[in-house]
Amino acid sequence: MATRPPHAQPEVKPAALSKEVPFGVNEVRLNAWQWLAALGIAGLLLLITPWIWQKFEVFTTGPDYRVPYQLSKDYWLYGRRIRQVTDPGKIVLLGDSVVWGEYVLPDGTLSHFLNQEAGATDRFVNGGLNGLFPLAEEGLVSFYSRPLRHRKVIVQCNVLWMTSPKADLSTDKEEQFNHSRLVPQFSPRIPCYRADANERLSAVVQRNVNFLAWVSHLQNAYFDQKSFLAWTLEDDGGSPPRYPNSYRNPLSQIASEVPSAPADDPQRGPRSPRHKPWSETGQGTTRFEWVDLDSSLQWKAFQRVIGILRARGDDVMVILGPFNEHIMAEENRPAFHKIRDGIEAWLTQQQIAHVVPETLPSQLYADASHPLTEGYHRLATQLWTSESFKTWLNR
Amino acid sequence: MLFHTWPFLVFLAVVLPVYFSLRKTFLWLPWLTLASYFFYGWWNPYYLILVLYSTVLDFFLVALMDHCPREGRKVNLLERLTRLRFEDRVLKFAFLGSVAAALGITGLAVFGPQTLRPTMAAFGVIVLLMGLGSLYSSRRIWLLISLVNNLALLLFFKYARFVVENLNTLTAWLHFPIKLSDPSTLMPLGSEYLLPVGISFFTFQSLSYTIDFYFGNVHRERNFLRFATFVCFFPQLMAGPIERARHLLPQFNQFPPVRLQNFTDGASLFLVGLFKKLALANYLAFYVERVYDNPKDFGAPALLLATVAFGWQIFFDFSGYTDMARGVAKLMGFNLILNFNNPYLATGLGEFWSRWHISLSSWFRDYVYIPLGGNKNGTLRTYRNLFLTFFISGIWHGAAWTFVIWGALHGLGVLITRELERSPVYRDRVPKLFKQAGVFLFVMFTWIFFRAGSLSDALLIVQRIFTAAWHDPQIPALMLVLIAMVWLYELAYESRLRDLLKTSGVRVAMAALMVLYLCLCSSGGGAFIYFQF
Repeated sequence: MATRPPHAQPEVKPAALSKEVPFGVNEVRLNAWQWLAALGIAGLLLLITPWIWQKFEVFTTGPDYRVPYQLSKDYWLYGRRIRQVTDPGKIVLLGDSVVWGEYVLPDGTLSHFLNQEAGATDRFVNGGLNGLFPLAEEGLVSFYSRPLRHRKVIVQCNVLWMTSPKADLSTDKEEQFNHSRLVPQFSPRIPCYRADANERLSAVVQRNVNFLAWVSHLQNAYFDQKSFLAWTLEDDGGSPPRYPNSYRNPLSQIASEVPSAPADDPQRGPRSPRHKPWSETGQGTTRFEWVDLDSSLQWKAFQRVIGILRARGDDVMVILGPFNEHIMAEENRPAFHKIRDGIEAWLTQQQIAHVVPETLPSQLYADASHPLTEGYHRLATQLWTSESFKTWLNR
Repeated sequence: MLFHTWPFLVFLAVVLPVYFSLRKTFLWLPWLTLASYFFYGWWNPYYLILVLYSTVLDFFLVALMDHCPREGRKVNLLERLTRLRFEDRVLKFAFLGSVAAALGITGLAVFGPQTLRPTMAAFGVIVLLMGLGSLYSSRRIWLLISLVNNLALLLFFKYARFVVENLNTLTAWLHFPIKLSDPSTLMPLGSEYLLPVGISFFTFQSLSYTIDFYFGNVHRERNFLRFATFVCFFPQLMAGPIERARHLLPQFNQFPPVRLQNFTDGASLFLVGLFKKLALANYLAFYVERVYDNPKDFGAPALLLATVAFGWQIFFDFSGYTDMARGVAKLMGFNLILNFNNPYLATGLGEFWSRWHISLSSWFRDYVYIPLGGNKNGTLRTYRNLFLTFFISGIWHGAAWTFVIWGALHGLGVLITRELERSPVYRDRVPKLFKQAGVFLFVMFTWIFFRAGSLSDALLIVQRIFTAAWHDPQIPALMLVLIAMVWLYELAYESRLRDLLKTSGVRVAMAALMVLYLCLCSSGGGAFIYFQF
């Protein structure tokens, strides 16, 4: 390295080197004790508010209760519902919209007809959630169904989620899907899920911080699934839009009772236009691009769900189906049978009680996997008379 | 990476423990540099090249400047060129390096991919200047290179498209058969033409070091890592405060003393900043966006209120960012300068600029206004210098005519309030509150140009504020309550009530309330406004 010539010595003027910088203006400057106090107060309120809330907010469930469609993303409420099922004799049915009853009213669901078979009103509890699928079910069971311990649980396995790479969420193309906050955020990787790191981390935090899940409950139940602040800016969709909430007090929105589903849901039940056999919807037979069990993300998630429940000491019964075989193109059936047999073989190998109900008559399906009211009735009868089911129920 | 997002919290949870565990080794500084580069690269790793390039060049330019005599000397050019006889070996190597680089650049331009040619041409200019700098042993040329390089980066990435579009409009209007191509066509190897986040901040910070060294206001930094950390120190890399070398660089000389107070103060600043951003700025943004995106659909009250809401939004957004930046730096033992001081309580526009974005205002004062002559050459020259400084400051904020007008309006405003302040009647008789209201209203008026999507939108908004019908503005009452509360708090803090607000009980209650409010009401993400600058 060259030596510096003497003429290059800089003549540095005296400068105020790193002098004391004012803390700030309008100081909200806390010392350690003040921080402890502030965090203590905030922490205590964060902990007890949801607990106190559920003491005051009336949550009427009763026989055939299912979490209302509009509250499908209210996982705090779902957890509360599960916590309500304290009687160990009660059996919770877990699953997607097939268990929940997409086309039927609460008194047309599988749990209702199982109760009917059992001569009880609420021995079987509808723990289904609209829009769920195994990857999301894993999150629901892991974080919001913790009270499900040492009891009998029925889990429905819907092969619909393996009918295509898109349904399996294993495509590389970005997809928008329901319950994205419930799916594994980092591992295993879901290739079509492209949320950024912040969204993923915030989902992880929300699952683990009860207060945030409770805030989400308030948003879902009283603020049209919006944050309180966004709600004050909501428009009515008109042209030009009006903003009806501008001058409303957000607190006045909060009621003392959890909103319930409409008594006669126009979208569901025998009187609804949607409640009709699939063949009358103009839909022809379908050719599915079945995903191999070995590579199916949804199947692996389902296996993990069973694992979680069994690890909690639950006595699990799996209902495989009822998938609508009539909707399948003929050449598509061998692949379906291979998948169904593969699932059954795994369940047998793991010594998990299971029933594979016979396919229902074609006119009792509304689509590829959802039965109509009578379909559920027949399915419940099938289950009730099945030896495996009886053995499982009585053990 | 944004301060108010979870990834930043994870980043901090990794960076801080490692940083503290390395405090007794020399590795804490490389770790800080690495963390800062990671922080910047999270947004777009390719633009790290830009930060690194700017840092390396300015570091070496100052080193070369240090090898040149402060007073001009007569140089025997012929001897230097023919016999390579330099008094200083470093300058000789620099000259040889420049020649070698020139050959390499020419080779790449001729034989390399065609898309490399514009970049090579730009490098060619820098290398040519470097050759001249070595040949003449001229400090001024090294400074010129730093200025050209940093300003060229800024001009190309921030203003090139604006300039090209305007020139093309002009040539079309004059029927000249010339049409300049979009600057994205000049990007090397087909890379994307994006505005690098924080470019206006890190180039200004780096530039201030070379200028300060040239004028003898700062020592030469011999440790490259220290200088690199100064340029890219992650808390203030994206949106300031624009630090001066003499303030921040010495803080990297050794591991700073970190006491419990650093954590409590840092957390206090961070919490307030987070609250300003998430609870206030992001909420106000909803209403501002609604109105400013479709100004023709709204009446005068909505436009007025949205303008005021934007004035508060940008204040909460930017000062919130600064608070968080200062808080994070404090956690690590560093002090960043104060950037905001209740600007909306200013009684004059000059005072407003000594309270708003203080680090930028002082940058322009020291590197534009004073070099232009400051207030030393009579009133007219002073006013010209003031106006030019604000005009350039407007352009610094963005490549659009709206920013140019915004800067010009502030320039005019400063001249007017300065003139008013000279009159004893205004200075002594006009109540302080009246002056504050005047400044506030003027600043709010100028925000119209700052926020509007285009110049025509801005003019439409101004026109409609005065002519449109008075419809219900439909601004959420909660928003007005929040703004009023903040204003009242600021006023109370500047009054005799300050002592009450400083009591333990009030501070604890405020912090607890802020935490709860954030958990309950935060309105989600949204980048900081000043990132675009």
